[in-house]
Amino acid sequence: MVNPLYMFILFLAFGFLFAILDKMGRKVTLTLFYGVLLANFIIPLYWIWGIFSGTTSGTEISTAGFMAPISINLRFGFEEIIIVLLVNFLGLLSAIYLSDKFKKSSINGMILFMVLLMSIDGLVMTRDIFNIFVFLEILSIATYSLIAIEKNRDSLSAGFKYMLAGGIASAFILIGIIFLYRFTGTLNLDDMIGKSHLLVGKAGFLSLYLFLFAILLELKPFPANGWALDVYQAVNEGLVAIIAVASSAAIFFVLYKFLPLVPSEYYGYLGGVGLVTFFFSNLIGLKQKNPNRLLGYSSIAQMGLLLATLSILKSFGSNDLIIFQIVGGLFINHFLAKAALFWLVGIVKKNDISAWTNLRTNPSLLIFLGVFILALSGLPPFPGFWAKWDFVMILASKGSYFSIIGILLASLFEITYLFRWLGFAMKKTDSTEKIDLPISKEFPIAISAIALLVFSVVTTYFFKEFSFIQILPLVGLVLMYLFGYLPVKVKGFVAIVIISTYAIKLYSLVSGLELFFAAILVVGSLVQIIATMYRSGKREGFYPFLVMMIIAIGNLVIAKTYLSFFFQWELMTIASYFLIMKGKEVTSAGLKYIIFSMGAAYFIMTGFAFAPVIPAINLSLINTIGMKHIGILSLSLLSIGFLIKIGSLGFHVWVPDTYNKADDDTTSYLSSIVSKAGIFGFFLLAVAIVKNASLDTELLLTIIGWIGVMTAIIASIMAAFQENVKKLIAYSSIGQLGYIILALSAFNHIGWLAALNLTLNHMLFKLMIFLAIAGVIMRTKTTNMYEMGGLIKKMPWSYISVLMGIIGLSGVPPLAGFGTKWMLYNALIERGWYLQAGAALFASGIAFLYLFRLIYTVFLGQAKPEHKDIKAAPLWLLIPQYIAIAVVMLISMKPILLLKPLSEMISVYIPTNLGWVGDKLITVNGYWNGSQVMNVTMIIFGIPFLWMLFITRKVQKVKQFNIVFAAERPDRPETTHFAHNMYAHYNKAMGFLVTPKLAIKFWDRVSEWISSSGATLRNFYSGNGQTYLLQIILYFIILYSIMGGK
Amino acid sequence: MTTQIFIKIGYACISIAVMVAYGLLTGGVMARIRARVYGRYGAPVWQPFLDIFKNLNKRTAISHGMMFYLGPIFRFAGGLGTYLFIPAVFGSVLFANFSGAGDIFLVMYFIFFGQLGMALGAGEGGHPYSGIAIARGLAQMSAFEVPFALAVISIVVQYDTFSITEIVAAQQGGILHWTMFTNPLATIAAFIALLGMNMQSPFDIVIAPQEIPIGPPTEFPSQFLSMLQTNRGLFLVAKLILFMNLFYGGATSVWILFLKTFIIYLANLFIGVSFPRYRIEQAIKFFLKYPTIIGIIAIILMAMK
Amino acid sequence: MILTTVLGFILIILGIWGMLTQKNLFKMVIGFSILDSGIHLVIVSLGYIKDKTAPIIDSDILANNASSQVVDPIPSALVLTAIVIGLAVTALMLTYIIQLVNTHNFDSKNMKDPLSITSYEELKW
Repeated sequence: MVNPLYMFILFLAFGFLFAILDKMGRKVTLTLFYGVLLANFIIPLYWIWGIFSGTTSGTEISTAGFMAPISINLRFGFEEIIIVLLVNFLGLLSAIYLSDKFKKSSINGMILFMVLLMSIDGLVMTRDIFNIFVFLEILSIATYSLIAIEKNRDSLSAGFKYMLAGGIASAFILIGIIFLYRFTGTLNLDDMIGKSHLLVGKAGFLSLYLFLFAILLELKPFPANGWALDVYQAVNEGLVAIIAVASSAAIFFVLYKFLPLVPSEYYGYLGGVGLVTFFFSNLIGLKQKNPNRLLGYSSIAQMGLLLATLSILKSFGSNDLIIFQIVGGLFINHFLAKAALFWLVGIVKKNDISAWTNLRTNPSLLIFLGVFILALSGLPPFPGFWAKWDFVMILASKGSYFSIIGILLASLFEITYLFRWLGFAMKKTDSTEKIDLPISKEFPIAISAIALLVFSVVTTYFFKEFSFIQILPLVGLVLMYLFGYLPVKVKGFVAIVIISTYAIKLYSLVSGLELFFAAILVVGSLVQIIATMYRSGKREGFYPFLVMMIIAIGNLVIAKTYLSFFFQWELMTIASYFLIMKGKEVTSAGLKYIIFSMGAAYFIMTGFAFAPVIPAINLSLINTIGMKHIGILSLSLLSIGFLIKIGSLGFHVWVPDTYNKADDDTTSYLSSIVSKAGIFGFFLLAVAIVKNASLDTELLLTIIGWIGVMTAIIASIMAAFQENVKKLIAYSSIGQLGYIILALSAFNHIGWLAALNLTLNHMLFKLMIFLAIAGVIMRTKTTNMYEMGGLIKKMPWSYISVLMGIIGLSGVPPLAGFGTKWMLYNALIERGWYLQAGAALFASGIAFLYLFRLIYTVFLGQAKPEHKDIKAAPLWLLIPQYIAIAVVMLISMKPILLLKPLSEMISVYIPTNLGWVGDKLITVNGYWNGSQVMNVTMIIFGIPFLWMLFITRKVQKVKQFNIVFAAERPDRPETTHFAHNMYAHYNKAMGFLVTPKLAIKFWDRVSEWISSSGATLRNFYSGNGQTYLLQIILYFIILYSIMGGK
Repeated sequence: MTTQIFIKIGYACISIAVMVAYGLLTGGVMARIRARVYGRYGAPVWQPFLDIFKNLNKRTAISHGMMFYLGPIFRFAGGLGTYLFIPAVFGSVLFANFSGAGDIFLVMYFIFFGQLGMALGAGEGGHPYSGIAIARGLAQMSAFEVPFALAVISIVVQYDTFSITEIVAAQQGGILHWTMFTNPLATIAAFIALLGMNMQSPFDIVIAPQEIPIGPPTEFPSQFLSMLQTNRGLFLVAKLILFMNLFYGGATSVWILFLKTFIIYLANLFIGVSFPRYRIEQAIKFFLKYPTIIGIIAIILMAMK
Repeated sequence: MILTTVLGFILIILGIWGMLTQKNLFKMVIGFSILDSGIHLVIVSLGYIKDKTAPIIDSDILANNASSQVVDPIPSALVLTAIVIGLAVTALMLTYIIQLVNTHNFDSKNMKDPLSITSYEELKW
């Protein structure tokens, strides 16, 4: 093994030599420079290999010929090797990124850069506290000097503020060190830890506190961190990557080394410092538009989170492996993603995140940005995801409610500003502004992304032991990307093949309720892939995420653990988000979607966190979730999560916008498939409840039931007032999902049967309607219903599809929709929910209003002249609709085919109280013979129809305007088509229920309140270096009085 | 089995024929009564038959398209179905119809079948008044359905069944067993709803005989209109029978049926000729206020039993 | 020697006070220097042991019983390092001031004082 001291020697020797060697030409020094960096990257790599192959376990290095504690000693153990490896790796990448700077500017840059890296390495390795001070000062001086190389005002003034803060920090650390020495008589850290009993009383604590505070200060705790933000904003991105990431990492490691010296009762306070920083930095970051400063807030927040996790886990006494996994995961995540994001910012050179639209011209950069933002947001499969999950689980097991709320809320803030940024970058514009992108700048970013992905795979595969099928969504994503260059039709075909293969595999794994949901979700999706082929061109990035989403949703059904469920859930969220983002003008809708989805995800996560761990047997969650008693808290949290996802009343505000702005076929997926994932979640809950009879869930179920029925009513009223066809259907979706949870929460056999049927029916009907409307929108190029009209003549096939859809949704016999409504009322009456039944009937009455509006204003009434030449909808769109119609007809004519097996699936959980006489279904109160109703209806429709055909042989077809209209012959469809503000009268009567837009106002207030509190708080950062100093001093005093006040 | 089915169909045809004739006649009588109230002489009571006969024999018919053509057929099928899923006469095989296919909720939803089809047919005609009238009708319907639904739920709770036959059975044995007396609040709520359902004043703006003199009925000429007129008779009877069954003890013979439904309709008309007309939003507010509250109280009373 | 320690702390507080109250960049640096000196005093005073001599091993003090005759040598060694580092930082600060003044726009009508810390507040929030 190479002695790690050679790293120092290489850095220092060449540092000194460069001044001379540069005379031989910059090429020589540059070559040597990168050679040194590479060598210093390889040395720790070699050691890592040694550790994994078992030939070494690290080493202790003494200096000056003495053993510790007499001499300064360096440790090169496993942790140190990893950090040094990462630091030198980052140093190398950053140097590559900065290569054009190094080529041009003076040799001092390279020298300082090497000194900087050396000091970071030293900081990590040294075990002597005075040596820590020395390396810290070298680090600071090198950094200050590097900042000053760029002689612009901003970076100089930021650097000066940095120096003031750094000066104070070094003063504190120095006093701390001398007192620590005074009390323990040693400077060696290990020796000192052995003598930590000497550090007692106020004086002992004060000396520890001084040292600790200085280290904390270098980690930029809120609010004593204004100087750091200025540095992040002003300094060259290549250098900031090192400051924000590598230096911070080393300082964090110093804290890690120092912690054993700190009595464990103070760990909680450190955790508090971290949490406060994480929370407030993200809160203030919400207002930030400058990408550099935004990353600054994010960096500070992430360091706060690292501090919080480390101290809190330590205070819980968690074992080292867990700490390593959680802190390490967050660390790697931040380390790679943040540095690369800084580089990215340096390439794009836009001072406002809303101007980042030019990233579209360079898809690779856009992909990188996406990867890093997903990683920072703690989304799977990146290491941050696993770490956050594990951490929340531990916090929950210790009952740290406030920490969980703080961390998740702050994460939501972070997601908000990161995804706002991403949203701007993905915005569709006509901008063709090219980004100047030398390979030396893209290379480090790409390497970081790859490294991040490698770490993700390693965590997913090795630490979490995920099977192949669980990561199949990601495999699908990558696989489809390989086909990116092909035209849509081919890609659609490939997607069908992939999903079919997956469906066959899935079929072998599921039974009972799982089979039902798998069929709805996966087969329903499969059929809709055909529809997606109606577009022309390439639709880049559409199919990869589509495949990913479908597989993730399918995997939800077979997930065996909470984690695996949540993993698939998040994958589904990500994929659907990117699908939505393919739409036009989708920036704000997409942001709303991701915020609400992540909010839902966090509720689900905490719900799982407070649930008892289910036994690890090889069965999917729906079979095992009932084996342990899940408490009411957990059930409520999960319910809220799923309620948000299905857009129930109060949480529905994201739905209309998202559905409206997403691509038309994506909307169909969102409504017919993705929302069903939430329903599946509710079924999981229901199973958990039904298996624990002892739990009193009466109140919870009653609340959910009322939410369901109120959702149905309000959404139906809202739908009736929409002018935009997609919004109308979106509200209709919200309302229909309300029925499903109403039926489910009735909690009897027929109620569950109704819920399952409603789920299937809603999938089919919404598929038909959305795809039909997709065709209409494609042909008419508008979403306003009053601009359509009379399309039945041009698009009869779409008309029939919508007709079937609205008959089904409204519950008019003889189609299957009636059966579901009938079962719903049976369930409610059986349960004794009479008023809810009345309310549900009310809602279904209102449904007629919007359904009629949908079909009438689009397909009936007066056709517009500009639509006189439009063609029927593309066949691609019609095929899935007619497949769905065929299924609807089948289950309408023979409901028993579906109902009997479903009833058997349910009877596993709730014993059946239904009876069958032939095709007749008999419930406690009522009876229904679907087949007979169908037959009678066909006869009573058929006979008059034949009669009519017989007697009206001379029917004269008339033209559009051949109507008698108050002695006038209208000739303008615009004034004759009754469509705009169709239910003005209804609005007068019932509008008071929906016009206050309470939910929208509420969420607007919430977001306004949050962002203005962020805006107020950021006034802390006045820009004055002296104020920053004062803040530091005050922070020092306040923290001391909190920590040492006892 | 096959013979049974044919017998059943035969019975159904007889049952329908009787009820159509009765319905048209009732309509004629009521029109006459209404005319007398307004101080007119009025048309003969068999005028509806004459109208149908005349329209059937018109030589030309116009159509705006497929859905337009199907509209009246949907409407008539809706009337037929609504009637056929109700047991008309308690204990009678002839008038039992196809009530075995479904319960009260089937009937309540099947009412929409014809209305929806008709609405779509009229919609294709492209006449703005059709759209306006339907929009008003739907809005009013969504409101009067509420007290009606609450009343139905109340008696469902009361008798613990959805089956119309069983509800009628439970009311046998004297006038005091009728729902009208055992559950008066539900009866009141439903009766008010029936006013809306029959589009009697003050809830007749949907058909708006004065302001919208044309629209669906004139857009649908000749044979189409004859079918609509036939349905008017049948559908009226179907609704009245439903109410009779639910609230007024049903009928054990067809004569009692005629008597009871006639009285129900007369009571309806009595109110209809006495009140001015509500605007549509007033009608909605009205239905969702008092009748709804009455309906809710009816449910609560029954649930507490 | 307790006096020296107290004096050192007084200097530290003075230095910090100076950095917090003086707007002039040079005066702030002077404050920093005072702070630094105070720290150095504290370090040295903590290593001092009464009636002992400097930790230099020569003919007067023999290596084998040096520990009983000299003061603790480590603080002295530390203070040397600290002085060097303090010097470097101070020098760098002064360089920064020069560079900052160089970036200043002297033509501007309402020119701010180039030597005042309040003139460098562009970066904030």
